[in-house]
Amino acid sequence: MRRARFLIAQAVTGAALACMTLPVHAQEGQMPLSQRLSASQYRQSIADIFGPFITVSGRFDPEYREEGLLAVGSRSATMTPSGIERYSEIAAGIAAQVVSPANRGTLISCQPATANAADDACARQFLGEAGRLLYRHALPADELETKVALARQVSEFHSDFYAGVAVILADMLISPNFLYRHKVLEPDPDTAGSQRLDAHSKATVLSFFLWNSAPDDLLLKAAESGEIHTRRGFRQQVDRMLDSPNVEAGVRAFFADMLGFSEFETLAKDPQLYPRFTPKVITQAQEQTLRTIVDLLLVRQGDYRDLITTPRTFLTRSLGAVYDVPVIDLADNGQPEHWVVHEYPQNDPRVGILSHVSFVALHSPSGRSSPTDRGKALREYLLCQAVPSPPADVSFAVVQETESVVHRTVRERLIAHATDAACSGCHKITDPIGLAMENFDTSGGFRTHENGAQIDTTGDLNGKTFDGPAGLAQAVRNDPALPACAVQKAFAYAAGWMPPRTSGQLRVLAEGFQKNRFNFIELLREIALSEALYSVPAPTGAMTAAR
Amino acid sequence: MTVHAIIRLWTPPLLLSCAIASAQAQTRGYVISSFLTATHSVNFEESCPENRNGGGAEWMVRDLIGIGINPAQARRIAEGVGDDDGEIRRRLNQRAIVNGQPASIYNYPDAAPDPNIETVTGKFAYGFDLGGPEQNKFTDPETGEPVDNQLWRAIGCTASFRAIPPATPFPEDVSWNAMVETSPGWAITISGENLPADGPVTIVLDRLTKHPERDAEGNVMSNATYVLDSAGTSRNVLEGEMKNGLITIRPKDIYLESEMPFYPEIALRNGHMRIRLMEDGTLLSYWGGYMKWQTFAFMITSRPGHGGDSIGIYHAVKKMADASPDDAGQNQEISSAWRITAVPAYIATPEGQIVAQAVLPQPATMAAANASADQGGAQ
Repeated sequence: MRRARFLIAQAVTGAALACMTLPVHAQEGQMPLSQRLSASQYRQSIADIFGPFITVSGRFDPEYREEGLLAVGSRSATMTPSGIERYSEIAAGIAAQVVSPANRGTLISCQPATANAADDACARQFLGEAGRLLYRHALPADELETKVALARQVSEFHSDFYAGVAVILADMLISPNFLYRHKVLEPDPDTAGSQRLDAHSKATVLSFFLWNSAPDDLLLKAAESGEIHTRRGFRQQVDRMLDSPNVEAGVRAFFADMLGFSEFETLAKDPQLYPRFTPKVITQAQEQTLRTIVDLLLVRQGDYRDLITTPRTFLTRSLGAVYDVPVIDLADNGQPEHWVVHEYPQNDPRVGILSHVSFVALHSPSGRSSPTDRGKALREYLLCQAVPSPPADVSFAVVQETESVVHRTVRERLIAHATDAACSGCHKITDPIGLAMENFDTSGGFRTHENGAQIDTTGDLNGKTFDGPAGLAQAVRNDPALPACAVQKAFAYAAGWMPPRTSGQLRVLAEGFQKNRFNFIELLREIALSEALYSVPAPTGAMTAAR
Repeated sequence: MTVHAIIRLWTPPLLLSCAIASAQAQTRGYVISSFLTATHSVNFEESCPENRNGGGAEWMVRDLIGIGINPAQARRIAEGVGDDDGEIRRRLNQRAIVNGQPASIYNYPDAAPDPNIETVTGKFAYGFDLGGPEQNKFTDPETGEPVDNQLWRAIGCTASFRAIPPATPFPEDVSWNAMVETSPGWAITISGENLPADGPVTIVLDRLTKHPERDAEGNVMSNATYVLDSAGTSRNVLEGEMKNGLITIRPKDIYLESEMPFYPEIALRNGHMRIRLMEDGTLLSYWGGYMKWQTFAFMITSRPGHGGDSIGIYHAVKKMADASPDDAGQNQEISSAWRITAVPAYIATPEGQIVAQAVLPQPATMAAANASADQGGAQ
């Protein structure tokens, strides 16, 4: 029994230490060799491997945004000691649910000879199957046997077969082999002296890109058979995955990252000024935009650029109250709010995702709107144009005086603020587009006046003038930077590193995107099939060793 | 403060709301955000000069002395000391004698002695002239009109109902806050040719299928959408008149079904109503009418923990009932008045058609109104 305790402690500690020492950092400008799973990738993987009914309760270590994407930041995401404790708790919770009497019949593919004793054969079968899916490759025989031996000792200690497999399952869930996606290199047989991603790494890149989840059995089989390295076999897998309903999870995860939805975690509005901005609205605002995206890009296979101008969206009663739009929900009293299709009438200024709470409220402070923040966000998130940060010693006093009797609208306050030469340069590239969104207060509610003064929503984008949010939306839609940015971000999201805007591969992808009438699913296909996504940096020897 | 002064204070926002809102034929929708007794406690000393009812501790001491506990011990028990096994409290609660056996005074309040609580003797109470006897009349502090409101006379000197708006009577506040997110709400729609200009209006009260939504401050959210209950049992169509932003109705019986434990239904015979359109877009309304005294009295005795003298209120309400006598001469109804607030809401039919719009003033309008008020523009 002592030996069993020692082995458990050794296994868990070993995994934890391994976590703390990862990841292997890529050199500046190189592809990442390891990326930590995001919270959504963790949850999606568990849901896909064990079922959506498994509750993943707990808090994950924070994610870091680099070059506009969490996916890029994931290459430098480490784990804190307290984070490892939390991951351990989450893992134990999942393992307990998997082996629970209610679930073991369906989630464990074998039955032990008796439930109150060890059963090596059944443990080997279950741990081998689960480990393959969790680690994204089959467990080496010696590693599997070590786990079976450990499960045996725990089962004997507790006189409970399921206690043994639960401990090992939890251990696998805190293993860096699960929590980190590794890119393993191997010699490229087609080009002497070159390397390529091994089949499982390739499958993992593809799966997390298109499904935001671990490879399924078929994709792993394609990796195990080497089929994934053949042009035909690879194409079949990409097509299969894009035809799968799972691609919705991938599309949602990409746009949640691209649009900066992680910032919702700290979003708050002054409840006295904006009482309709409830916690429910914060959650639903993200869902509104994601539903709109899925509907246009996935269900209707529409033009990506129309995301900015579409009058069609989805609302709940709570969101309807913020937007001042009636939303008829015929669900019974006490039932969760339903989502209802809403189409704004022609000429309504509330078009496209720039009018959503998820944009105008997300990029505004608690008690006032901010054309500067909105303009900066539009350029950075959607047009891939960098905006410098303000100088450290700049005074925002004039801008923040929202009840000024002299400068009643934010436009007047910004003009006063930008008389400072140190500020005016940057404001010229943010404010003319942000001011066009001033019809939306900081909560996303529509308004025409501020402090009793009519709001002026004229603006310009790179020399193109317009009036109001609809005019801005049209200008953004027609800006070539919009689809080009989608290509760049989608590739960076898939690869975990940001390609230079001038890269030839990006140019090819952008041309293909245009040729395919800005069909986003076709863009995903082109990126998934592009060799650049699976290319490797100059040989360094790192992670080249065979598994 | 004189009645005229109070009326004068009341008037500017009324005129202002007319001045600032756009005039157009429409139906405006609202969801009731509070339904409370129309308390008037601003001049408590005048209304209840003896001030002898006290709070929960005082009436408990009185009751304890009534069952033979000496005053010092009674005070200690009221403070929670000296009755560890709860025996004395049990005796207190079992004072009713039914078929020769002790029984709960809350189940059998008629079998419990009447503590004869102090009732309102002051001049003012909210309400309407329901045609009751002159000797019972109050004066409405806003309108200066005579008022029948014997319910307020019965309960207005108790601690539980001593509340100056926006404070709310404790038992109603507890019930409302506990149930507002589960019990289906009530709609008010106001239709007129030229709202909010003077002229005839139609008011419809109805039950909704969903409970009121709360906003980030815990109040009932404005501008949400609600669907009318298809049952129609709570549908009340009232004819009214808008004058200077104030709506009054032609008296009519009012019935609203509820799922609130405190107000399982709102049933007012000879219902009266005045509704004011506030400049922030909400409604402030007073309703009056006769209700069954037992409805109110049993709501009180079913909640002995509300901090008031339930038995005292029960007997006071029964004694003050002022309409519809039974064969034994006991009046079955009591005149009453209620304070109702409502916030703008979209109202839809069960078939999904919007029949009333939520109308909130634009911030610009609000700002202009405030500026105008600051400069005396509303005078």
